[in-house]
Amino acid sequence: MALLSDTRLLLRKVKDLRCLTPRRNRVKEKWAVTRTKHPPTSLALQHFDSTYGVQLCQLWPSVRAALLSERKYGALLNNFCHDAVLANLEAQGCRDFLRDTDTEAQPSLEQESEVAADDEASGASISKKSDIDGQQLSPLHLSPHIKCLVFPRGDITRFKPARPDMCGLLGYYLMDAASLLPCLALDVQEGHNVLDLCAAPGGKTLALLQTQCIGFLCLNDASVSRTLRLRKVLDSYVPKPLLTDEKLRITSFDGTKWGDIERNTFDRVLVDVPCTTDRHSLMEDDNNIFSKIRTGERRKLPQLQLELLMAGIEAACPSGEILYSTCTLSQIQNQSVVEQAIFLARENHGIQLQVVDLRPLTHMFRKTFHFAPDLHLGEMVIPHVAANFGPIYMCKLRRLT
Amino acid sequence: MGTRVAARQVLRWTGLNATSVFSPLQFGRCLLQPLCIGCRLLCSSSSHNALRSTQHNHELGPQPREPVPELSLPSLVDMGFTDSQAAQIHEATSKLRGGDAAQHALSTLTALFVLGLNPSSVLKLLEKCPELYTVKESQLQQRMGNMRKLGLVEGSLQRVVSHYPQILTVPVKTVKSVVVFLREKCQFTVQQVTDILRESPAVVLENMGQLEYKFQYVYFRMGVKQAEMVKSRLFRFTLDEVRCRHCFLERRGLYQTPDKKGQTVILNPKLDVILSVDQDAFLAHVANAPAEEYEVFSRLLAREWREEERQHGSIEADSGDDDDDDDVEEDEETGGKGGYSKRRKK
Repeated sequence: MALLSDTRLLLRKVKDLRCLTPRRNRVKEKWAVTRTKHPPTSLALQHFDSTYGVQLCQLWPSVRAALLSERKYGALLNNFCHDAVLANLEAQGCRDFLRDTDTEAQPSLEQESEVAADDEASGASISKKSDIDGQQLSPLHLSPHIKCLVFPRGDITRFKPARPDMCGLLGYYLMDAASLLPCLALDVQEGHNVLDLCAAPGGKTLALLQTQCIGFLCLNDASVSRTLRLRKVLDSYVPKPLLTDEKLRITSFDGTKWGDIERNTFDRVLVDVPCTTDRHSLMEDDNNIFSKIRTGERRKLPQLQLELLMAGIEAACPSGEILYSTCTLSQIQNQSVVEQAIFLARENHGIQLQVVDLRPLTHMFRKTFHFAPDLHLGEMVIPHVAANFGPIYMCKLRRLT
Repeated sequence: MGTRVAARQVLRWTGLNATSVFSPLQFGRCLLQPLCIGCRLLCSSSSHNALRSTQHNHELGPQPREPVPELSLPSLVDMGFTDSQAAQIHEATSKLRGGDAAQHALSTLTALFVLGLNPSSVLKLLEKCPELYTVKESQLQQRMGNMRKLGLVEGSLQRVVSHYPQILTVPVKTVKSVVVFLREKCQFTVQQVTDILRESPAVVLENMGQLEYKFQYVYFRMGVKQAEMVKSRLFRFTLDEVRCRHCFLERRGLYQTPDKKGQTVILNPKLDVILSVDQDAFLAHVANAPAEEYEVFSRLLAREWREEERQHGSIEADSGDDDDDDDVEEDEETGGKGGYSKRRKK
């Protein structure tokens, strides 16, 4: 008898474990009877309707429909894998968007532009005549050896998951094809030291490694768990000899401190900052930055982005290049951050920055992506139902001093 | 003798209906020929016994093998058909199988004439729906009577039958179940149900589950009430059409589901503005979008629905898209999520 009453008491106690459950775990979707009244996805949608409705005007309904529909992926080919992946994928109907462009390069200009030695390389530079004042735009240099297959415009076929080859390496990495543009624009050249300040989960890193011309690659991400994920991705795609300490370094420090850690060191810096990830925030309730509990974090994002960009600028060497990219449409997180960084770099550190024109890039890939027209600083891929890539914002800076 | 009485009865009957669409003269002419049939019809609407007794007077005895004289070309022409029309009917009926086929065909033709349709309409109708030839006369009468009871009086009934003759091939029980569904589950008024039957008679042949889903979608998801549904002739359109146009507008931000109080932040376009226009007009004036966008969107949507249905059928949707996406992740401060297994919602 005594035993039973004890268990009953015990059960009563056990039923109420709310005080012991951490706040973030209190409502588990699989147990909850009703959904939250205002899920973060609808809060995000409301927020975007008010900001982007004004910012994008006529374009917003089309972008909104695309963001709420299924996204389109591209297959980044793994050059380290030996299977006939390219042929297989092309048989399904996709094309390498890096080569499937409407180039208008005239024959006379081709002599002046640098042509990559390897014909298969996608890094052919193109000189373009500016329509406005007859001046030549600076030649377009892209990181070489990157290949990415996408299905044509309007084709909504999905990619099948990649299969490992005999060495256990996967044939391709599925990612948003627009995320490759920052890697291309970074223009990694032979022997460069490259820093990726917010590397996880690893798509852009993988693309950089495909160029096979990096001298030394530093990867950092503030979160330990995400860094682990980055390592797993690299292990699945890159052969072990290329992941040694002489070629690669993975760290989990706070990226904003890099100005103090390694100043004036890197030829190329990629700053792919954390942002409101518009597409994810509209579709997934899990890990959504628009949850009420993360409001503070979201408000501080522009500040964090600015600090990361400043750190990247300081870490770059003179005449080095920094590429800032986000996956949001918001002006506050995009142009404003870059403008402030340029200003602060000059004021506080005496660093002169030049904005590198990315118009040749957008012109080259206008067949595959929709670009936002008339951005005064940087370039942006906007989603469209027929080409549901992006949103991606990128801006390239060159250190003059 | 009996036939003369019957003839007078028929004329009186047509006289009663003189106020309706057709003229008694035209009527009298087509009816006087197959008078026996006419009086048989008249009697059948009153009592079955009379029917049996008048059958003696019938030329149309139980002679299944012999070609029925009334269906011959001259008799068809006498009914009011032109030569070519008569030939078409003759050909159609000669293809019919079954001993009573010709009998049914004749009764059908007569019934349609009694209804007041002119010969060319009758022909078009029968071409649309050759099954009508095989419907038994009693069933035909029953069904027409049921229609009348439901409120499809003269004028409407003719219109419905000529536009959608299949409605006469549907048993009364089915029609009744649809009506009960509309009245009780969907809370349409009697008048609204009549309107629905008049405007969208195809509703009687539609799958109940689909009908219910369509109603619920429009009522709850679009926030449209019964009166507007009837006005926009909702039941003429398929679920997919309605859903596709609605979702396109919704995702563009032009349509909002009303909240509990029925309010929306924006002004939703009316249902008949959305549905009743053709696609080009819809895209140009309501959605403000190019055709290419709508076309790709409808394919994406169709795929989404297929997968949703599959999931509801409690079969796991094919998770063939195990993609790592670069830009999905954001900075995680908590790190405590390591224990959870993240299930990405597709």
